[in-house]
Amino acid sequence: MSITDLTSRAEAQVAERKEINERLQKLQEEVSDFCYQCAKCTSGCEAHKLLELEPHKIVALLKRGLIDEMINSDMIWTCMSCFKCKERCPQKVAPVNILFTLKNLAVASGKQVPGDFTAMLQSAMGIGLIQDIQTVPTRAGETKTREQAGLPPCSKPKDPAKFQQTIMTVAMEKV
Amino acid sequence: MTKYALYPGCLMPTEQYGYEVSMRSTLPLLGVELVDLEGFSCCGEPLKSINQMLTLTLSARNLAICEKEGLDILIPCPMCHLALSETKKILREDPKMKERINSKLAGEGLVYKGTSKLFHVIDLLHDVIGLDAIKEKVVKPLSDLNFATHYGCHLFRPSELGRPVDSENPQKMENILEVLGAKADDYAEKLDCCGGPLLPVHPETSLTKTGQKLQSIQEQGFSGMALSCPWCHKMYDSKQKKAGETVGAKLNVPVLYLTQLIGLAFGVEEDKLALDLNLSPVEKVLEGDQGVGS
Amino acid sequence: MKRIGVFVCHCGVNIASKVDVKEVAEYASKLDGVVFAKDYKYMCSDPGGKLIKDSIKEYDLDGVVVASCSPRMHEHTFKNVAEDGGINPFNVEITNIREQCSWAHEDRDEATRKAKILVRASVAKSSLLESLEKSKTPVTHEALVIGAGIAGIQSALDIADDGFKVYLVEKEPTIGGRMAQLDKTFPTLDCSSCILTPKMMEVKNHPNIELMTYSEVTKVEGSVGNYKVKVKKKARYVDLDICNGCFDCTTACRISGHVPDTFNLELGKRSAAYIPFPQAIPLKATIDPDHCLMLRFGKCGDGPLCVKACEPDAIDFTQTDEEVELNVGTIIVATGYDLLNPEKLFEYGYTRSKNVITTLELERLISTSGPTEGDVVLLSSGEKPRSVTFILCAGSRDETKCTWCCRIGCMSVLKHVYLLREKLGVDVEINICYTDIRSFGKGYEEFYRTIRGKGVNFFRGRPSEVRVHPENVTIDIFDTTTNKLFEIGTEMVVLVPALVPRADSEEFSRILGLSRSGDGFLLEAHPKLRPMDTFVNGIFIAGCAQGPKDIADTVAQASGAASRAAAILTKDELENDPLIAWVDPEICVGCGVCVEVCAYSARTLNEVTGIADVDEALCAGCGACISACPSNACTHKNYTKQQLIRMIDEVV
Repeated sequence: MSITDLTSRAEAQVAERKEINERLQKLQEEVSDFCYQCAKCTSGCEAHKLLELEPHKIVALLKRGLIDEMINSDMIWTCMSCFKCKERCPQKVAPVNILFTLKNLAVASGKQVPGDFTAMLQSAMGIGLIQDIQTVPTRAGETKTREQAGLPPCSKPKDPAKFQQTIMTVAMEKV
Repeated sequence: MTKYALYPGCLMPTEQYGYEVSMRSTLPLLGVELVDLEGFSCCGEPLKSINQMLTLTLSARNLAICEKEGLDILIPCPMCHLALSETKKILREDPKMKERINSKLAGEGLVYKGTSKLFHVIDLLHDVIGLDAIKEKVVKPLSDLNFATHYGCHLFRPSELGRPVDSENPQKMENILEVLGAKADDYAEKLDCCGGPLLPVHPETSLTKTGQKLQSIQEQGFSGMALSCPWCHKMYDSKQKKAGETVGAKLNVPVLYLTQLIGLAFGVEEDKLALDLNLSPVEKVLEGDQGVGS
Repeated sequence: MKRIGVFVCHCGVNIASKVDVKEVAEYASKLDGVVFAKDYKYMCSDPGGKLIKDSIKEYDLDGVVVASCSPRMHEHTFKNVAEDGGINPFNVEITNIREQCSWAHEDRDEATRKAKILVRASVAKSSLLESLEKSKTPVTHEALVIGAGIAGIQSALDIADDGFKVYLVEKEPTIGGRMAQLDKTFPTLDCSSCILTPKMMEVKNHPNIELMTYSEVTKVEGSVGNYKVKVKKKARYVDLDICNGCFDCTTACRISGHVPDTFNLELGKRSAAYIPFPQAIPLKATIDPDHCLMLRFGKCGDGPLCVKACEPDAIDFTQTDEEVELNVGTIIVATGYDLLNPEKLFEYGYTRSKNVITTLELERLISTSGPTEGDVVLLSSGEKPRSVTFILCAGSRDETKCTWCCRIGCMSVLKHVYLLREKLGVDVEINICYTDIRSFGKGYEEFYRTIRGKGVNFFRGRPSEVRVHPENVTIDIFDTTTNKLFEIGTEMVVLVPALVPRADSEEFSRILGLSRSGDGFLLEAHPKLRPMDTFVNGIFIAGCAQGPKDIADTVAQASGAASRAAAILTKDELENDPLIAWVDPEICVGCGVCVEVCAYSARTLNEVTGIADVDEALCAGCGACISACPSNACTHKNYTKQQLIRMIDEVV
């Protein structure tokens, strides 16, 4: 009554696997069980050549219930979300959405979020946008503001406090 | 004039001014009135890795703002267009989720119903305005120019959600360029990603991806690259120099927004297309041997 | 008052585990009219039958209710038993307490309660059942086989050998079908034509086979034993009795070399006057109306060259389509398959590069009767390819395209490897991108082993796309055997597309009244036990019309279908099921509504009596006329309104 990875001593996490499948179904995605490992996803994966992401392996590990292995790995953060895997999967499995779900789980379990995601989140919470309005360079080596480019003011949440409240409550929630 | 709510997203209104300026200069010439609304926020797609509920809520929030005005929505950013389309689909098919999201939006006095239609610049131009209407306005055909088109992955994938262009053989931008007098040959890397979504985590790799595609386009002798995504433009234009350094190549590919090219063909003055903000050598297209001005 | 016996079956544990069968029998024994009730482990077994027969005698029963499985399974069994026991078999009523009760419910008490209600309703109906007699219809001892590929040929030959006349209808100008387009067959590498053409000759020479090529079935009426079939013989513009198959017209044709050669999948060109291939049967010319200048514009230069060239004077531009009517006892449908249109696999580059082809196209390139006379060349340059890459499961096993396995792809590719090694030598690089190699048939796995020894690069994986560059084609493939991503630079790509139903299969199935399965192929009556039967009595299916299969399976099924058909043809008459419509002559006003709604042409207005008759042989007992009849004159024998209302009364 147990399945153990003899290299890492990890055991299949049946409950977590079920939870992920339920989440995917709520997002109207096909569950991973239908995958037959043709690896069409990895053949076309934009991130594979540079960062060795193997979407078909992500699906296989999920099927096997080795969730922690993935959540603790930086690998899940290498997806470029180009959606080629979902587009072309012959079994309508969407590795890209499995990866989103795994990243969400990693964040929820307090794993360090790599790169600039935290900055983007903080900015979004503060002003509603993932970055503030920039002054941009021109080809001639000068700079221009949004206003100087002749553009009207940028649309932002009208009541930042209420907006933050919305975001804060949602940020804690599961799908 | 047909009114559309302009949902700008984050990247275009905070740094990709060339897109916004050229769009505001060209679309009204084709009978489109862009309506600016207050109160928008990020669509949530860039934060999908953190929490997918956040994406659903933020997208529904922005849709609700437009619905209040009873307007269909123009979304210039493919990523925002994907987030809003996906949210629409999920909330249409899952009433419980819709209820849950609406309870979140209530704090700001917003209700999501799902009544607005969504458009990107490409399908608005190609399918609503139509090629004939565009052709009529061309006064300076972009003759002798051959552009490599780049749509932005999220504009054509995943097709299951119903995207503005075909997922495997997108041709709408090609058709538009053709009526502008230019060519747009297919190339093997056409559907490849710019690397942009990786920028927050693996900047170096992200730029390698950008550089590789630019290098290939340069080798194939295209006059330039035509774009319809602010993220991809950031990679191919704003970061072209860095991308070249990453792949060890000297890149000089003119990169322009499709709306800028339309403006040029319509005879719109260059400063109204913000062409000074393109950091790639667009003068090659503007003034070169095969340039528009010649 | 009828004396009814109720027999409750356990079906092992299939019923007994969810329904308290003893309680049901006990309950039934107390119902009005029931003089005996008993449960038994397997009512369909010999002892079960004996129980029923003995009880009929002992209790002098004249009605029998069997509570068991679906009537589709054993109604026949129990009717026979009752008849043996000495009562009219139409006094047997089946209550389905398995499919509709024990298999459908979890709760034992509730299932038992439902079983009791169902039995009560059956007993009520049983008391009103009438004894019926079976009428008989004579059988037409002739058969129709539609489609003359290897399946149709085999079926036709078998039936003809049994001594019955067969009409073999083929829509193309020649028989032979897909198999005629193949070069060699797996796993034995038999030359396809060499084994097919003798059978084609046999068809041509068989005294019992009447061949109708370039013809299409347009209408089917009637029922088993007596089908009336309309066949459109398309105008060929060549008199078959005169044409001697000399090919003079095909060489003389003014637009020779300008018409896409459909037999060669448009890889080559032919004339408007053509014979598909040298071994065509019948070896007669056909003039293609879509391209012939005479037929399109009424003028061909200063006169049609084919006419001038034809020594026996066989060409006749005045010919028109002709309709013939056939009377047959039984029909075999063997209409074959198409390949999935490879243009639908845009990512695999078929529309973007001439050097991306399909397996069937490669087959024509390999064949010495093909457009290149057997030279395997790149369509872009005419040069021999230095590398060939196969992509298996192109659209097969794919929820977005064709969900099924094509069943021939793996083996056909292995065969091609063998043939390419022969044609192009040991130096040509051969790559196979596969997901699973399915080599399940006799001798197939051994053949796979042979090919593994032929220096082939097997990549276990599926490419995401084929990239077409100006100079060559590249394929990125992640190989799960080495866990590495490879880029294959190749000159020729061969796609192995999914097998799909014929493009016209929907319309065609409607003409014959056949059902199709979800994949669009024709549906068999039972996937295991009645694989050649359809739901229409007397119409059988063979070959890929029913689903993808290889030649060996096709021939086996074709012979099976022929033997099923012969079982009907050997009878002089067939018993008609008396469970059909009946018209009360006292009520019928002859309005003719029933005639309009009848899909089986069983209803006609009798001009003498002024009322609507029922043809007992044609009526399928579908009930359409009964619900349509505005004056309630139609009833269904033993499914009368009175009987059904009694049942409903017992249930609610």
